[in-house]
Amino acid sequence: MIILTASLLAAQTTRSVWDGVYTSEQAARGSALYANNCASCHGTALGGGESAPPLTGGEFSSNWNGLTVGDLFERIRTTMPADRPGKLTREQDADVLAYMLSVSEFPAGKTELERQTEVLKQIRIEPKP
Amino acid sequence: MYKRTLLLLLCVTVWAQQPASQPSTKNGEWPYYTADLKGTKYSPLDQINAGNFNQLEVAWRFKTDNFGTRPEYKLEGTPLMVKGVLYTTAGTRRSVVALDAKTGEVIWAYSLREGNRAAIAPRQLSGRGVSYWTDGKGDDRIVFVTTGYRLVVLNAHTGQPISNFGKNGIVDLKEGMVNGAGQQIDLETGEAGLHATPLVVKDVVIVGSSFKEGMTVVTHNNTKGTVRAFDVRSGKLLWTFNTIPRPGEFGNDTWENGSWATNGNTGVWTQMTVDEELGLVYLPVETPTSDFYGGHRPGNNLFAESLVCVDLKTGKRKWHFQVVHHPIWDYDLSSAPILADINVGGKAIKAVALPSKEAFLYVFDRVTGEPVWPIEERPVPQSDVPGEKTSPTQPFPTKPPAYGRQYVKVPDDLIDFTPELRAQAKDNVARYKTGPMFLPPIVGDNNLIGALTLGTASGGTNWPGAGYDPETHIVYAQANQSALFPISMRTPPEGFSDIRYVMGRNGTEFRVSEGPGFGSAADAPRQPRPAPAKAAPAKPVPAAAPAAPPAAAGALTIQGLSILKPPYAVISAINLDRGDLQWQVPYGETPDVVRNSPALRGMNIPNTGQAGSVGLVVTKSLVVLGDSQITTTPQHPRGAMLRAYDKATGKEVGAVLMPAPQSGSPMTYMVDGKQYIVVAVSGGAYSGEYIAYSLPSNN
Repeated sequence: MIILTASLLAAQTTRSVWDGVYTSEQAARGSALYANNCASCHGTALGGGESAPPLTGGEFSSNWNGLTVGDLFERIRTTMPADRPGKLTREQDADVLAYMLSVSEFPAGKTELERQTEVLKQIRIEPKP
Repeated sequence: MYKRTLLLLLCVTVWAQQPASQPSTKNGEWPYYTADLKGTKYSPLDQINAGNFNQLEVAWRFKTDNFGTRPEYKLEGTPLMVKGVLYTTAGTRRSVVALDAKTGEVIWAYSLREGNRAAIAPRQLSGRGVSYWTDGKGDDRIVFVTTGYRLVVLNAHTGQPISNFGKNGIVDLKEGMVNGAGQQIDLETGEAGLHATPLVVKDVVIVGSSFKEGMTVVTHNNTKGTVRAFDVRSGKLLWTFNTIPRPGEFGNDTWENGSWATNGNTGVWTQMTVDEELGLVYLPVETPTSDFYGGHRPGNNLFAESLVCVDLKTGKRKWHFQVVHHPIWDYDLSSAPILADINVGGKAIKAVALPSKEAFLYVFDRVTGEPVWPIEERPVPQSDVPGEKTSPTQPFPTKPPAYGRQYVKVPDDLIDFTPELRAQAKDNVARYKTGPMFLPPIVGDNNLIGALTLGTASGGTNWPGAGYDPETHIVYAQANQSALFPISMRTPPEGFSDIRYVMGRNGTEFRVSEGPGFGSAADAPRQPRPAPAKAAPAKPVPAAAPAAPPAAAGALTIQGLSILKPPYAVISAINLDRGDLQWQVPYGETPDVVRNSPALRGMNIPNTGQAGSVGLVVTKSLVVLGDSQITTTPQHPRGAMLRAYDKATGKEVGAVLMPAPQSGSPMTYMVDGKQYIVVAVSGGAYSGEYIAYSLPSNN
């Protein structure tokens, strides 16, 4: 049992955004949420606004490479949308995040992005290997 | 003899006390946002220099998370340092804090709970900092503007409001702010705010004003900009300068068809400067509503996007120069004008130099307003947006040369790492209208996406401004030269706005665009946002429409790389005696997205610099500024670097790791023989923090 847990943990810690950590259906749900809650500041194509940072591309990856999907999830969950943080549920935050990952062309997979921060902290954000 | 000695002694005593009573960079202090009233950001300190910059270590750090209901990720303050105490703003509440300059320990903190008034303010978050006033005899005051646009004066020693200033230490700056032909705005919901620090000179506090961003605003008839002066002791209003002149005032006729009465904005949202001896104040004025459509305000629209010189005592205009006629590009005058005593061709000139988003440095005789080098009116492209009447010409300085890219030259400015990337970039750019500087917005659709401008809203030098060495007469400016900004206009949905054209593209769904930090103040989550006062709210957006994917035709990045050639941003040294560029180097270092790009594997790419707009500090021998982006390189772990450049050559001579990008303009000071550099960092996952660097004690 202990061995099983350890190997499961080992498998989790090796995951990255390149390992298909969300589904296309989830990203599609996230797309609609993004349009209604995020696009007015971050732009319809996630390119950022006059002061809201872009959510895709070089500046975005420079901010998040080396961190985890859990770090990004917490940033969204605790501070966004800026005019009403906490408006979206954890599930909705995960959907928006899945949409963001899809726009940055990280591959979709077979399981949805989880909504528990600690689990998401096991998924690294990194450049394409 | 005895009398003469006594007199001499008195004179010496008075002379010796003079520097001590008024704070100054000469004492190792940093008493103004821009170091001094002249906007130089210059300190003569030299303990930290090229030989030891790499040894800098963190002296103390100050996390701002708890000064508000939630952390701030866009900390933009520049602290002041006077007599061993640092003063600055912090957090989503915009609290004022006094910190021990040696340790960062909190001495006092002050905040005002403004509720909904702050939650709906047009300029939120902690702002740029505070201002300092002293009578030289122990009455020392901190002056700042709250998120909800109140002018507050505090006792610098205790943090308590000065009870006989205004009402219990507060002047309500919304009183006297108007829209239309003179309608007082609502004190609670009326639109006005300010990020900049007030200008404090002699016994006068001068404050500007700013408003909501003008991309998809609901009315052109919003609050009108002003610059006002108040008595620092009593809070009494001394004068008002109307940036939109009223009937009978100079420039009113530049708002044709009486449009002065139905348009707003045109504030002064950045730092102002003042020549104390001449008694002249320099006001950098911004754009009118809306940022990109001027069809409701035919004419040149003075004093929009003008540098205005007014009398310190009366606020009366002495001279002005409009750098953009009939503004429709969001070229707000963004930077503090720099006062420079220069020498051109053997002639001494009291000059004022204005850094800009355009990457022009506009240089004038600051007494007369005459350009030091000719500024020519040249023909520019004309708008075909219905109802828009662009100015046939715009001003172009002949010297100094532009210090950053000003438009997209096709194909010369496009990415050319490989022929494939260049070809793709040409394809993508073909979806836009391109052209020279002052290319006007177009009505875009899915075939022609927009007018592809560069360096308009976020180009060149932005709010952190530039610096200047008063000994060598050289301006140091960072300039963003990769801020591509496609501008497309469309008619708004019925009932959304009284403006005929707002930002957007025909054939796509209309989206509201919000400005900086909107809805981010400490009180924001507790209150619903109010509906626009006059226009009906927008129709709800259907939930099913997915946003356009960025890989669509016309993308401005290819595989994450900008479609523009590097350098993405530059630092320049501009000699004001000669009006030329002394040196120019890429700003920062190559971003990870370029370094790790699969498309560029195996290629040797010289430093590309990195996009961003940051401020800098100029010392005896260095120009110091930090990266705007996080990088991870073989030379340093994940982080952003605070870098020192040799003032004479632009060569990087040292760097120290920061945990996050520089988000506020740095400052420096000396206390008890030790020099410190303080910089605000934040962004991405990292919440706002002031970090103080100094040399190791055994150095």
